[in-house]
Amino acid sequence: MSSESRTDGGQTTTIEDRPLKRGPFSRWVENSIKNPQRVYRSMFYVVTVFFLLTTLFPFYWLVVLAVTPPRLLSGVGLYPPGFNPESFLIVFERVPFHWFMFNSFVLGIMTTVIVLVLASLAGYVFGRLRFPGKTPLMLAILAISYFPPAAFLLPLFELFTGNVGAVIGGVYIHSPDLFNTPWPMVLPFSALFMPLSIFILTTFYGQIPDGLEDAARVEGTTRLGALFRVIVPLSAPGVATAGVLTFISVYNEFFFSFLMNNGEAENWAPIVGGILGLQGQFDTPYHLMAAASVIGVLPVAILVIIAQEKIVSGLTAGALKE
Amino acid sequence: MATEQESQQAIRDSGRSGPYVAAVRWMESLSETQFAYLLLTPALLLLLVIAVYPLVTTFGMSLFADAIAGSANLGEFVGLQNYVELLTNEKTYALPSAFVPTGLSTGALLSSALTVTLIFTLFSVFFETIIGFGQALVLDQDFRGRRWVRVAIIIPWAVPIVIQGMIFYLLFQPGIGFLVGTPENPALLNQLGVIGFTPLANTADSLLIITVADIWKTSAFMALLILAGLQSIDRSLYDVARVSGASPWQQFKMITLPLILPTVLVAMLFRTIAAMRVYGIIETTSSCQTVPSLSCLVVTSFNQRLYGTSATVAFVTAAIIGVVVSIYIVKFADAEGGAF
Amino acid sequence: MGDVKLEHVTKRYDDVTAVDDMNMHVRDGEFVCLVGPSGCGKSTTMEMVAGLTMPTEGDIYISGTNVTNLPPKDRGVAMVFQNIALFPHMNVYKNISFGLRLRDYDDEEIDRRVERAAEIVQLEGMLERMPDEMSGGQRQRVAIARAIVRNPEVFLMDEPLANLDAKLRVHMRTELQRLHKELDTTIIYVTHDQAEAMTMSDRIAVIDSGQLQQIDPPLTCYNEPANLFVAGFIGSPAMNFVDGRLTDAGFESKNFSVEFDPADLGLDAGTDVTLGIRPEDVYLADERESVGDPTMVIDAVTDVLEPMGDEIFVYLLLSEDAETGMDAQDSPDQLLMSVDPDSAIEEDENVDVVLDRSRVHLFDTSSGEALLHGLVAPAQAEGVTETEAESDD
Repeated sequence: MSSESRTDGGQTTTIEDRPLKRGPFSRWVENSIKNPQRVYRSMFYVVTVFFLLTTLFPFYWLVVLAVTPPRLLSGVGLYPPGFNPESFLIVFERVPFHWFMFNSFVLGIMTTVIVLVLASLAGYVFGRLRFPGKTPLMLAILAISYFPPAAFLLPLFELFTGNVGAVIGGVYIHSPDLFNTPWPMVLPFSALFMPLSIFILTTFYGQIPDGLEDAARVEGTTRLGALFRVIVPLSAPGVATAGVLTFISVYNEFFFSFLMNNGEAENWAPIVGGILGLQGQFDTPYHLMAAASVIGVLPVAILVIIAQEKIVSGLTAGALKE
Repeated sequence: MATEQESQQAIRDSGRSGPYVAAVRWMESLSETQFAYLLLTPALLLLLVIAVYPLVTTFGMSLFADAIAGSANLGEFVGLQNYVELLTNEKTYALPSAFVPTGLSTGALLSSALTVTLIFTLFSVFFETIIGFGQALVLDQDFRGRRWVRVAIIIPWAVPIVIQGMIFYLLFQPGIGFLVGTPENPALLNQLGVIGFTPLANTADSLLIITVADIWKTSAFMALLILAGLQSIDRSLYDVARVSGASPWQQFKMITLPLILPTVLVAMLFRTIAAMRVYGIIETTSSCQTVPSLSCLVVTSFNQRLYGTSATVAFVTAAIIGVVVSIYIVKFADAEGGAF
Repeated sequence: MGDVKLEHVTKRYDDVTAVDDMNMHVRDGEFVCLVGPSGCGKSTTMEMVAGLTMPTEGDIYISGTNVTNLPPKDRGVAMVFQNIALFPHMNVYKNISFGLRLRDYDDEEIDRRVERAAEIVQLEGMLERMPDEMSGGQRQRVAIARAIVRNPEVFLMDEPLANLDAKLRVHMRTELQRLHKELDTTIIYVTHDQAEAMTMSDRIAVIDSGQLQQIDPPLTCYNEPANLFVAGFIGSPAMNFVDGRLTDAGFESKNFSVEFDPADLGLDAGTDVTLGIRPEDVYLADERESVGDPTMVIDAVTDVLEPMGDEIFVYLLLSEDAETGMDAQDSPDQLLMSVDPDSAIEEDENVDVVLDRSRVHLFDTSSGEALLHGLVAPAQAEGVTETEAESDD
């Protein structure tokens, strides 16, 4: 407001200024010096637009390639040289992409359920009970989740392919051959992503007043009953947060998703297998790779739109808890 | 009788037998410490089987030579020889690249797994911090459509690594797009001289692309953590500063930055750990031969059934991450001690 | 039925003994207040009765059953908490019926009981509300309804009125008493407010440092406190204490003495004793006639007056060099007196006061144990006149 009135004043009253013949740019500069707030505001918009362009352009590029007819896939510019939405259907013919996605969902849900149950118990223990060894245990659990998955790969591969055995009671017992089932992925995912959920739930469960738990127990629940009837329902936002983050983490995971199956949909390979499987022996169908990627991103994009608040609060709670 | 006292019944019930009732009663009779460890058992068991056992086994395997032939997984016991060979680059015969750099030339640095990983980590974490900070400052403002800007900034973080890899593969694969052309028909980035005509098969170019891909995906993670820190700053501090005549830049320098620093350091630690494990984006965009990260070395030697070597690299990788984390923690403790 | 017995109950944490060898028997239908300063172990005692905390040693019996190792749900107790502890994700009906639903009562029975409980605490028509839509007093009623709906044998109440405002607290006190009359159930009630304990309970259990000091009806605790702690804790304003010594002539202190023959009262001369006298048992010398058995006149100067409407509290200084200030009540040179509101009394005025000998308490200074209540020799029926004559001197 004040800047405008000053501008008006400057233009109407001072005659000496006129010979300078100031253009719009120099006027803008003058205003800016008089009113730095405006500069900050415009800087802010420039920066925001920059961030939006850089984060969203790669997705746009996927869409451009996906709808470009295969024969025009050369030197594609900023907009598609043709329109060929068929790619989105051909993806499903070339590989059973729906099956790979289904596998990803199943792996995500299985892991999420396991993580939520185990992390609920652990979060209750760390958030509400006092016992010797609490802090070292928490630190140990945190430390484990930061080891590179590569350090686990060999023994886990041996374990899940049934090559680990031990003599128990005079009988040599093999580990079960779980390769090409969901478990060689679900179990490592659970171990890897559980610590974050434990920290989120520890924070949430710790905030429930003691009186509520006591009241539930006097009213007739066991300690575990109080956890699942009172503490967990009251911490629903925290549980949802932990669940969403675990699911997204599994859906994103590459290392075990890539190495712990043979890449076939019927053997529980997730979308990693689907997308990498598009690469043919004799051709590289860029448009299909792009289309598959667009389809693969949609579920998490929707999840992010729906659950953005939970993601933000969960990541910060988990991280700042340290 | 209406006032029949239920507790009598309750006490009688508790005397009832049956495995379920017995289990419940046993659990209720545990002390707090016993109960705590009972509830932690499933989680600890999982971690034991999936993390602790493999770590210990990996270390054990690293003490054996690779199997040369036959069906056995490992050769004879060699003690720390694998480690010695790895750190003196005598293992290179078994690996796609040297482990430690053979010299200080650019070529030598780019063909060593250790330096490639460190360069990647350094650049990606540095730029993620800067960009994440910028994004956090944008999201900290109040403006219409903030919700959607936030979604746009978070989405790359939620993108599966394989799709992230595919995006950058499709952006930089020569010929198909406007960024990288062919020698006959050079495109934007070739003309600018930023990258060559086969960027995904060239270590320097690929490392650049992979670093950009990582920055694109994970700056949002930084942004969210820093945003949380920003929003926990007491707003009245800014009023005080404004009354004292501080410009927005001065407010940022004198209030925001010092208060946000601990959060930024924690976020950087998290990102450093994750960056040092980089694998998936390399495998999908370029290849482990072109950009040999530490994790790449583990997987490559694993696929060649060089289990002793693979285990050694895996354990050294974990140790290096441990060292970096310790450095952070020591520095962080200093910074925090200085701040208060 | 419904009685609670604690036998040698001890609770130790790492380095603190919260409850130390507690023995207590709360009879069926009795309203007992556990009272004491914060951290005295009264809440821990209640938690052990509820089963929320396990005793380190000792046994707890409810209705004759040893419940020491039973979880709270199997003890037949109901509890009302200080922070009210309503489940915020359930409406009033669900909150009240929580325990019944856990026990698989059929729906009609639950409805019937919930309605009855709501009626008792006057919550009819509010069953659909959520806890955050209610006032503090209403929430407290829901918590009470949740406790009574199960017809428990024993009610445990842990400072249930502490978070209410003063006016509501007094009102709820009366309601709780009415409730006790109506339900005729054993109630164990924890409070740090001795006035609450005095007004509501059949018996008061005074607890300090994890030990039971005295368990008696309110007036017994007031008139015949077992030791210095109880004497000082029960009653507001607190009892005056004057440290002194027992001589052949009676009680001697720095500023005054009270004459009697220790031997007549079964006491030994030469011991250090503390004399206790409640403010209302200190009289102006002019009113001596109204006192059955006054002591010798004590010289004093009035310090501060606190008119309360129905009485005036007068702070008396007994010596020239009397210390005044925060710890005035503990100073040997000060005495608090309660006088009639229309007494003509001014600040900084010389006054003569007397004590009612029949209301004087003597405590052993080192052990704190009460030696006697009232300077009336138990053996001498006619001793009254003799002591009166003595003090008249």
